[in-house]
Amino acid sequence: MDSKENSGNGNGHNKYSGEKLKSELLTVNMGPQHPATHGVLRVEVKTDSEVVAEAIPHIGYLHRCFEKHCENIDYRGNIPFCDRMDYLAAMHMELGYCLAIEKMIGTEIPRRAEYIRVIVTELQRIASHLLFTGVYAIDLGAFTPFLYCFDQREKILRLFEEISGARLLYNYIWIGGVWNDIKDGQLTRIKEFCDNLIPELDKYMNLVGQNKIFVERTANIGIMTPEMCYNYGATGPILRGSGVDWDLRKKKPYSIYEELDFDVPVGEGLKGTVGDCWDRFAVRQQEMRESVKIIKQCLDGIEEGPIMGKVPKVLKLPKGEIYMKTECARGELGYHIVSDGGKVPYRVKAKSSCFTHTSMLPEVAPGLLIADFVAVIGSIDIVLGEVDR
Amino acid sequence: MHKELADYLNSVVSGADAKALEAEVGDSSILVATEHILKVCQALKDSEEHQYNVLQTISGVDYPEGVGEDKTPVIEVNYMIASFIKNTEVILKVRVPRGDDENLPKVDSVCSVWIAADWQERECYDLLGVDFVGHPDPRRILNPYDWKGHPLRKDYKAQEVYQGMTVYPEDKQNIPEQDFVVEQNRLNDEAKAAAKKAREESKKDS
Repeated sequence: MDSKENSGNGNGHNKYSGEKLKSELLTVNMGPQHPATHGVLRVEVKTDSEVVAEAIPHIGYLHRCFEKHCENIDYRGNIPFCDRMDYLAAMHMELGYCLAIEKMIGTEIPRRAEYIRVIVTELQRIASHLLFTGVYAIDLGAFTPFLYCFDQREKILRLFEEISGARLLYNYIWIGGVWNDIKDGQLTRIKEFCDNLIPELDKYMNLVGQNKIFVERTANIGIMTPEMCYNYGATGPILRGSGVDWDLRKKKPYSIYEELDFDVPVGEGLKGTVGDCWDRFAVRQQEMRESVKIIKQCLDGIEEGPIMGKVPKVLKLPKGEIYMKTECARGELGYHIVSDGGKVPYRVKAKSSCFTHTSMLPEVAPGLLIADFVAVIGSIDIVLGEVDR
Repeated sequence: MHKELADYLNSVVSGADAKALEAEVGDSSILVATEHILKVCQALKDSEEHQYNVLQTISGVDYPEGVGEDKTPVIEVNYMIASFIKNTEVILKVRVPRGDDENLPKVDSVCSVWIAADWQERECYDLLGVDFVGHPDPRRILNPYDWKGHPLRKDYKAQEVYQGMTVYPEDKQNIPEQDFVVEQNRLNDEAKAAAKKAREESKKDS
């Protein structure tokens, strides 16, 4: 039989022949309500069968005019608003804002308050990374690690509830110090928690990080090169996952980080290429260990004393501006505060790291399978509250 | 440091008109001529000596009454630029006349230097109404695409109706009488006054 006979009616007008088959990109809207997008993010994905050809993020569903609100409320009153940006790492949001204002008015912070600040922010970093570990495993189809991680995170949240009175949005770090003192019993419990955490972290690394399915799903997926990170302005675990040794706690130390001894983990490409999803996961696991190290040093070094510095009752900033950045759980958070000498800020601009990282999605996405694209969104660990502000 | 960088910019880009604004408190910055911002940014990125390889953010500030002595209404666009290689950081500023809704102020886009500028400029356009000339995708980003006005301008008034919905309806407004803090303070004052009165009366009785 020759091929002509084989093609149906033999005259080449078969609608199933290669030239006649039409194919076009299919647009799929991921979100705004989708478990894999970690909040209300809509990604307009143009797919060629199962492969992503183009991804366009649409953000703004959680826009709450943070910056406009700040222009109407006095400096102290803005701290609770800062909390609500990244609601999973609220301590970091407060710390950056308070540091910026303290630098402007030149307040001396008591030593005890500095130690408490470092302890709570590092605990918060652990809590945030634990949540990432659990939720990332869920994104990739494993439910069990989520329960283990939330078990440990719950212990931190209970400690925070005792210390500050709230589980998620604390309003604990104030301009000049902290709101409430930590009692000796609570310090002992933090120490116990830190001791118990290390074996748990080993367990997660075995359960998730070394898991064959997990490695297959994350290694060599969504590679971000250092040049790309610089070009987009990525920071935090994303930049470190790409093998760049950049941590503000080392490079531009604020608070008492200068006196503390810790390492900066960077991605090494142990399971695949440097800068893939697995590296970003591994960097966060290592960071939790470093945080434990920092907390233990602080617990040894903490000294008695006051917890609030001298801050004028009616707080007015001198005329000028400042750009202060701190290393948060998800990357660098910068506050640009402009003052005209009054009681309320003239302008507050928050530079959100999640915003920057979301803008990298269109660059990474083309060529990935849809399921791998979900793995990439999970690995950059965005919180939409901070993206949209 | 700012003085030297300004001199360097003046020597590389002719007409850059870079001035170091030294601040007594807070951060100093460098003011450059608006029409040369793209060249200045390119020069900062390319220079072997400085290597400003990261654009961290773009922050616009609205000054309807002018800055300092100069009373012309301007919008100031701040570029927070850093070098992750040299561990340095600088704030670049341009000032453009404020314009109005039909006639937005124009600044050259720096997307060709750092891709990070893409979303940052979109945000600045959305919230402050700065038109970045040469931007590949000038859409709003945080507000809905059909929103009117630019919220972070000081004279901004929200549109009254959006897609058939009333914006900021009266029963949701935070008028002072309903304000919780004001009300609490009033009650506290009343209670204090009553207690004081009672004390004085008891003194009189005894």
